Amino acid sequence: MTDPNKRRHGLRLVLAIAIAGLFAASAWAQDGVTDKTIRIGMFGPLTGPVSIYGYPINDGAIAAYKAVNDAGGINGRKIEIVTYDNHSSAAESVRAFQRAASEDHVNAVIASYISEVVLALEPWTGRLKTVMVTPGAASDVITQNIAKDYDNLKYTFHGYLTSTSLSDLVCAAAKDLLVNQLHMKTAVVMSEDAAWTTPLDAEYVKCLPQIGLQVLDHIRVSPDTTDFTPIFNKIEGEKPDVMITGISHVGVQPTAQWKQQEVPIPMFGISSQATNSSFWNDTNGAVEGVLYQAVSGPDVAVTPKTLPFVNAFKAKYGNFPSYCGYTAYDEVYYLADAFKRAGSTDPDKLVDALEKTDYVGTIGRVQFKGKDSPNPHALKVGPDTITGLMLQWQDGKQTNLWPANVANGKLKFPKFIKIGSTN
Amino acid sequence: MGAYSTSRILLIALGAIVLASLLPLGVSGYILGLLTIAYYFGVFAMAWDLLFGFAGEVNFGPTFLIGTGAYTAGILDNLYQPPIWICIAAGAFAAVIGGVVLALPALRVRGPYFGLTTLVAVLILQNFIVVDASLTGGEIGLTVPDVITISDARNYEIALWFMAISGAILFALARSPVGLILQASGQDAVQAGALGFNVTKHKLTAFIISAFFSGLAGAMLVFYFGSASVGTLVDITVGVQIIIAAVLGGRRTILGGVLGAVFLIAMSEALRPIGDLANFVVFAMALIVVLLFPGGLFGLLTRSRENG
Amino acid sequence: MLFWQILIDGFAISSLYALGATGFALIFGVSGVLNLSHGALMVAAVVAAWAAGDQLHAGPYAGAGLGVAVGFGATLLTYFLIVRPLQQSRKIREEEKEIFILTATLLWGIMIQELIAYLYTNNAKTVAPIVQGVVRIAGVRTPSNEIFTAVVCWLVIGVLWLLVNRTRAGKAVLAASMNPRGVTLLGIELSQIYIAVWAIYGALVGIAGVLLGMFLGVSSYSVGPLTASAFSIVVLGGLGSVSGALIAAYVVGYLETLTAYLVSPAYRTIPALLLLVAVMYVRPRGLLGRR
Repeated sequence: MTDPNKRRHGLRLVLAIAIAGLFAASAWAQDGVTDKTIRIGMFGPLTGPVSIYGYPINDGAIAAYKAVNDAGGINGRKIEIVTYDNHSSAAESVRAFQRAASEDHVNAVIASYISEVVLALEPWTGRLKTVMVTPGAASDVITQNIAKDYDNLKYTFHGYLTSTSLSDLVCAAAKDLLVNQLHMKTAVVMSEDAAWTTPLDAEYVKCLPQIGLQVLDHIRVSPDTTDFTPIFNKIEGEKPDVMITGISHVGVQPTAQWKQQEVPIPMFGISSQATNSSFWNDTNGAVEGVLYQAVSGPDVAVTPKTLPFVNAFKAKYGNFPSYCGYTAYDEVYYLADAFKRAGSTDPDKLVDALEKTDYVGTIGRVQFKGKDSPNPHALKVGPDTITGLMLQWQDGKQTNLWPANVANGKLKFPKFIKIGSTN
Repeated sequence: MGAYSTSRILLIALGAIVLASLLPLGVSGYILGLLTIAYYFGVFAMAWDLLFGFAGEVNFGPTFLIGTGAYTAGILDNLYQPPIWICIAAGAFAAVIGGVVLALPALRVRGPYFGLTTLVAVLILQNFIVVDASLTGGEIGLTVPDVITISDARNYEIALWFMAISGAILFALARSPVGLILQASGQDAVQAGALGFNVTKHKLTAFIISAFFSGLAGAMLVFYFGSASVGTLVDITVGVQIIIAAVLGGRRTILGGVLGAVFLIAMSEALRPIGDLANFVVFAMALIVVLLFPGGLFGLLTRSRENG
Repeated sequence: MLFWQILIDGFAISSLYALGATGFALIFGVSGVLNLSHGALMVAAVVAAWAAGDQLHAGPYAGAGLGVAVGFGATLLTYFLIVRPLQQSRKIREEEKEIFILTATLLWGIMIQELIAYLYTNNAKTVAPIVQGVVRIAGVRTPSNEIFTAVVCWLVIGVLWLLVNRTRAGKAVLAASMNPRGVTLLGIELSQIYIAVWAIYGALVGIAGVLLGMFLGVSSYSVGPLTASAFSIVVLGGLGSVSGALIAAYVVGYLETLTAYLVSPAYRTIPALLLLVAVMYVRPRGLLGRR
């Protein structure tokens, strides 16, 4: 029925939190804190539909923190990772967090790609004075809360893009690909009715006209929808040049039905499930021609660190990491860097050090917005920091089309799509 | 019911509670946390058993009452920040009102229709919570600024004694003359009515009591977690787990609800290494108990005649 | 234009509802069982068909066939493993059996749902349609698959009708739904009738499931809503009446479609829900109900 947004994104999408430093606690756990280790807790659905990827990810992730340890650790202290299986549940996450902070004495936590879980944990970071960095989740509320109660909630850092940032990045890509290249003029926004899309849509409605796309209508679709026919019918009736999407909980059904009904309008924007490499099979190829935003793509060297990381991962597990994999991997590194600069594990000093993060990771350059911003501790986006990518499924492959300097293909649409002129 | 008398059962239960209250001395905070949730769940199950086991009404939506209580308490805290106990009391009160609102149409229908009504109630509540996101936090949940305490041991003791007292009240009620009338109405409403009992009034009473405890426990849970969400308190799956806990524990036993809740949570933990398959196994075990031991765990323990 | 769109879409959706609800009504009518694992059985059929295509690389026909077979098998398993043992149990009082069957089938349905989510995640799955492409009917661009769905549904319902009204075995089933004891007096084994009915139900569930998978797709989350939907339609039509369920399916299907097109897709399920509440208040035995 209704579920927290982005829950169960797809196989690999999920556990990639682990990518950066998961390993079986039983093999590595030590009693209590010692002066020799810095402990980072990792939260995620360690078991379940993604467990077949979880355990290999565990091993691969060891390389991440091992590299730091081999290079001398952090001021002489080695990193130790403690894992917590939270079954994607907010309730279990709160319990696990209480345990992590009070009993296992972790020095920082990397937790969740689900906004519901992050929001449930956020006040606990303040109550238990433990830093939390999130590898996923898009809700703007996470950082808006920090603005409202900085002293208590400053321990939370949003290590992924907020909905508003996502919209801005989609608009930037749309300007190059849709307006400049295809001369499109009108759009209809179609998004699922969920908490994460409220700020997304608000920003879409603002930034699309600014790049030259008139917003004809804004349709919010219930996440429980199974029959998209009336929705596509309505959109088609308004004759837009493009559908700008904001979908995550739904993906397979609208995409498959879009193709079945041969709706002549292309889809462009956020479609979280389309980022999974299995999505082609999931939709029996119906996703051909769909454009979706992501922070990574096959063979795309966003930064010099991207491809070495991806290749090492692929060599070990035979598939690509999901977006959380990249962010969590980076987080282990910049957390380690922050500990180093702080010179201590004191949470307040760690917060100060993290705020000054300037780290080139696998998805771009990581910098956090400051205390005075309306979204403190959110990631900065832009050409100098993080831009994301715009990819399109073509012939079973995810091809990157934007930004131009890392593009490896050109726009290509199925026959039933009509570009430009009246639909 | 069984070979044990009421006072004997209460004595054994008291002994178990006292033993349980000593756990924080030696057991890790993690396990205390698990048991805390199990105890609140036990209250949900006991409240459900009163309605189902005794009044004979299959309530598919215990989470309607729980959710109403929990969200009322949570929203109140968010808006006005009154002392926690006021929020909790308000939650229980709201749940009672919800129970009455649900009971009035529901009690006019029988059997599967009743079940359907309660199911629809949950769906409506869920829709309302998700749609009115600015007030309720929507589907990603509501965080409240206050919690009862951040101490594991204290939360545990609070939950334990809350469950013990609720259980005692519910159990006493069930074994009282009122309880007997409820049982009679549940098993043969026509005859009970013929004997002069106002069946509807008694069932409504059962509803109200069930609602009170469900809402109260739900509100307390919100201040334990520090948050409320549809996935933890309202979803049909949660309702199903409560039903399973109660049936597994033994219907019409009240105390069985606690056994069932603790069993379910203990099993889920024990089976954690096999991941999500754990859910499958737990439900399978519950199914086997339902098929082979209709008297439930309580029946097994008291060697009830039902289990042969 | 819109009129034809609504007419066609509504017809396809209603036919699908009808097929699923018919099975549900049949089982309740004949054996008095409200099978709460109904949705799970349908989803199992869809996932099997999808898995056949995705992992065994079977063609659409083979995949569909496997899906129907799995739906059929799972339904029979439900009967032999869960329902029959409970019905024949000596440890449970007669009046309590209904509740035990409700709980047990509910549990069983959840088990299936969990198993599917575990094996295949809870992402939505669609089945490669046997019929692709679009046709134009009265100016409305309609996927051929939609027409295929409606046609198959009616074929199956037609066969069912023939079976029940024209064959001996079918008439025995009909009789059993009206008077089980009377049927035994005629020397017909009730247990065989039950098996026959569950077998028919299994086929209906399998076919409905696969069609649903091709038309709209399902996920493990669909289990609950599918059961609830069948339940509501059957209550609306009158518990125990198969023709009632058929009519109710079309009422609900068109109500939903009209709402989705004329009001808003977001309110799609509300009118049907309101109608259900109204019927339960005013005429609890449904349109054509007997019990």
